[in-house]
Amino acid sequence: MHKPLKQLFGALAGIAMLGMSAPALSEPLKIGYSDWPGWVAWEVAIENEWFEEEGVDVQFEWFDYVASMDAFAAGQLDAVAMTNGDALVTGATGARNVMIIINDYSNGNDMIIAQRGIDSVADLKGKTIGVEIGFVSHLLLLNALEKNGMSESDVELVNVPTNETPQVLASGNVDAIVAWQPSSGQALNLVPGSTAIYSSADEPGLIYDVLAVSPTSLSANREAWIKVARVWYRVVDYIQDPATRAEAVSIMASRVGIPPADYEAFIEGTKILTREEAMEFFNKGDGFSSLYGSSKIADDFNVANDVYTDPQPVDDYIDASITGAL
Amino acid sequence: MNKPWFAVRKELSSRRRTFLAVMSFVFPLLVWSLVSYVPFIWHPQVEIIEPGEVDYFRTGMLVDRSIFEQELETLRAEGRELPTGTRTNPVYLPAPHEVARALYTAFSTEPQRRNENWLHESLANSIQVIFWGFFLSSLIGVPLGILAGTYVAVSRLTEPFVEFFRYLPAPAFGALAVAILGIHDAPKIAIIFIGTFFQQVLVVANTTRKLDPSLLEAAMTLGARNGGLLFKVVIPGIASDLYRDMRILLGWAWTYLIVAEMIGASSGITWFITQQARYKNFDNVFAAILIIGIIGLTTDLILAWLGRRLFPWQRAARA
Amino acid sequence: MTYLDLPSYRDQSPEVADRFRRLKERPVILEVKGLTKTFDTAQGPVTALEDINFCTHQREFVCVIGPSGCGKSTLVRTLAGLEDYTSGEVLLDGRPVHGPGPDRGMVFQGYTLFPWRTVKKNVMFGLELAGRGRTTAEEEAMQWIDLVGLTKFANSYPHQLSGGMKQRVAIARALANQPRILLMDEPFGALDAQTRAKMQGYLLEIWKNIDVTIVFITHDLEEAIFLADRILVLKAHPGEVQELIEVPVPQPRNASQFLSPEFLATKRRLEELIHPPGEETEEGINGDRLNMVRMVPVNAKVESVF
Repeated sequence: MHKPLKQLFGALAGIAMLGMSAPALSEPLKIGYSDWPGWVAWEVAIENEWFEEEGVDVQFEWFDYVASMDAFAAGQLDAVAMTNGDALVTGATGARNVMIIINDYSNGNDMIIAQRGIDSVADLKGKTIGVEIGFVSHLLLLNALEKNGMSESDVELVNVPTNETPQVLASGNVDAIVAWQPSSGQALNLVPGSTAIYSSADEPGLIYDVLAVSPTSLSANREAWIKVARVWYRVVDYIQDPATRAEAVSIMASRVGIPPADYEAFIEGTKILTREEAMEFFNKGDGFSSLYGSSKIADDFNVANDVYTDPQPVDDYIDASITGAL
Repeated sequence: MNKPWFAVRKELSSRRRTFLAVMSFVFPLLVWSLVSYVPFIWHPQVEIIEPGEVDYFRTGMLVDRSIFEQELETLRAEGRELPTGTRTNPVYLPAPHEVARALYTAFSTEPQRRNENWLHESLANSIQVIFWGFFLSSLIGVPLGILAGTYVAVSRLTEPFVEFFRYLPAPAFGALAVAILGIHDAPKIAIIFIGTFFQQVLVVANTTRKLDPSLLEAAMTLGARNGGLLFKVVIPGIASDLYRDMRILLGWAWTYLIVAEMIGASSGITWFITQQARYKNFDNVFAAILIIGIIGLTTDLILAWLGRRLFPWQRAARA
Repeated sequence: MTYLDLPSYRDQSPEVADRFRRLKERPVILEVKGLTKTFDTAQGPVTALEDINFCTHQREFVCVIGPSGCGKSTLVRTLAGLEDYTSGEVLLDGRPVHGPGPDRGMVFQGYTLFPWRTVKKNVMFGLELAGRGRTTAEEEAMQWIDLVGLTKFANSYPHQLSGGMKQRVAIARALANQPRILLMDEPFGALDAQTRAKMQGYLLEIWKNIDVTIVFITHDLEEAIFLADRILVLKAHPGEVQELIEVPVPQPRNASQFLSPEFLATKRRLEELIHPPGEETEEGINGDRLNMVRMVPVNAKVESVF
């Protein structure tokens, strides 16, 4: 009963030491993760106690996505699961980080969903679109417009929080929305006749989901992070092995509290990467088939949309050596 | 028994009071059941059983009735296979039996993952957060409120700022709370604290000011001075009103729980609600809402009962 | 009513005259010298009390009476120390007093019992503050409760008592401190006529048996005459002493004296002072009379009330 109180007073006393955010070596590595299939997959390792087997002391904390980045920015976490675009945003606003593991790329979970009668991106010209401006869904929309010879000025954007997009589409006030799972799936269910006219499957690598570590923790605990990466690829194998896949899905589904059968759909839209695939994306290059190229595009997008003002040194945000060391 | 049911400010017999109290719950339940089970009252959607030849219909999909009928018209005109479906309510309004089942499963289902909590553990965690937030707030807020209500100097020194601060939305301090207090229960407790404290100071100060000043005068003519007035007159004099205030404030503290549990590491009963709502499991959402309602009502009834024992002089005064 | 056959209120029987002579030889308990109180309002300064002078002797019963707005409540609250005064002096046993204190007990019209304390605990309040031990305080309190005849109700809460009983507790509570003077601000004003008459009797009984000097505010002329040795008559705007009347009704008092010539003579004098003839036009009934039109139908069964 006294734990929270002690925690509170202890934390109050600790304000003075805020500057020293580098955790002591004896502390477990604190990792924040949230509701995205590629990150929920960590649950498989937690449940099977693979970190203990690997001999690395980690503590996973389950968060709301935005709250997890806040906690990382506040120096409360050693690492956090985010998209590569958000890694840049978090870094630009003060919490520098290094992406060491690529969990997956979105392969259809992010969608542009249009009302009945709008069958292609080209049909969106002059239409009203609900999207959370400055987020990855916005980036997806720009990518789709660009591919069809249009730009943002050809459509009218309405800023809508992503989790409210299904209701907004259902209200009929917009012609299309951009959202990721589970909101995108809900929108399809909620609005009869609506279809996904474009999705992240059309541009693999637009959005990479990664594990981003604070530079301090990375240099202090390099060996431990390599062990974490090793556990991750054990998870990937477990999910991709037909013999254990059902078990993996059921662990993941229970994390978010829905039936395993329903969760399959979400995993479908996520391309979870093997080590070999990931190493491909760790190669420098332009365009979406490289984490560097994708992040550069995200950086340009963020600057263009005033998410932050100064372009970020993308190369400093990526460290392939951890995955490469396996 | 021939007494009128509606007489301005006249007490009813205890049998009638009990009856009406029960009815106050039966009535909404009845409305809920009617809306859920009697199709022609609301049921604005159709659940597809057989999609027929409508290309985008799927079995189990919910569509608006107007759309369903429109498609039916079109297909009938073209002489193609018709879809079938039953009228239903939107997913946002589960039926009572679904909620009852969810309520039962929520408590009877063993957690599937190793470090997952039982529902009652999440609940206990939430109650702990509320308790500490409210307790710490009261620890400072009540004495400060009493002093502000007693001494004009304290009131002038604190109340303008408190008035200002109480308009600031407590959730906005979430990120700051996490930065200072970490990611577990402490920042959540801090949000409850911020949400409660400033209202508490003002409410307690006002209650203190409402104490009949002639009691203070009487005490002074009996030899009471500063400390004596405060501890022998002001505090016992407002104790019962203060207790009532605290009951109301405790209710407010609960409303801050939902934002408190959104920050830092996700935990607790309202996080459960948020998460389940995200996946549209509204039977679970309603079950959790009911649990909170039941806890709130039970706490209040217990506190009311305790209050009658703590402050026996209040009983006749109210009747 | 006619006062034709009444003696002057100044006529005192030899016994009464002798008693007043002896009374004035007693030590002075309370002395008020040139007491003046003004306060500022939006309409400018108002004088509530102007140059009030009087003194009370040990175990004397003084009533203060006057028209509404004469400041009699202000006077007694000032004596109790609950209000400041602008100039003058209030001496208790020859020493100036400032602020409230247990040497001047007070009984208010609104009872002011502590609702969270039982009768016994209410009476113990002053004793606890005076530093008496719990048992001593309890014993003493029980004596005072016994004196006002409420032993059976010692453990009751105030809300369980009638108005008269509450005021007896208030009196016991004030007396428990054994004050030099007991100030009473229209204490029976909220009681019904019967209870009030009973309470007057109780109060005289208590006064006879206890070494206490009483200053009693009332607007009831008969109450003042029945209770008081002397009556301080104030007048309004500003509050000034109009006359200090020595009540010629012999002590000890009893209800049969209400119709005695001395009683009626004093009452006539008080009425002259408080409602002087001709004053009524100023703000009284004539300027503010009812505007009556006959509203009874012509064929009403009862045509006239006479």
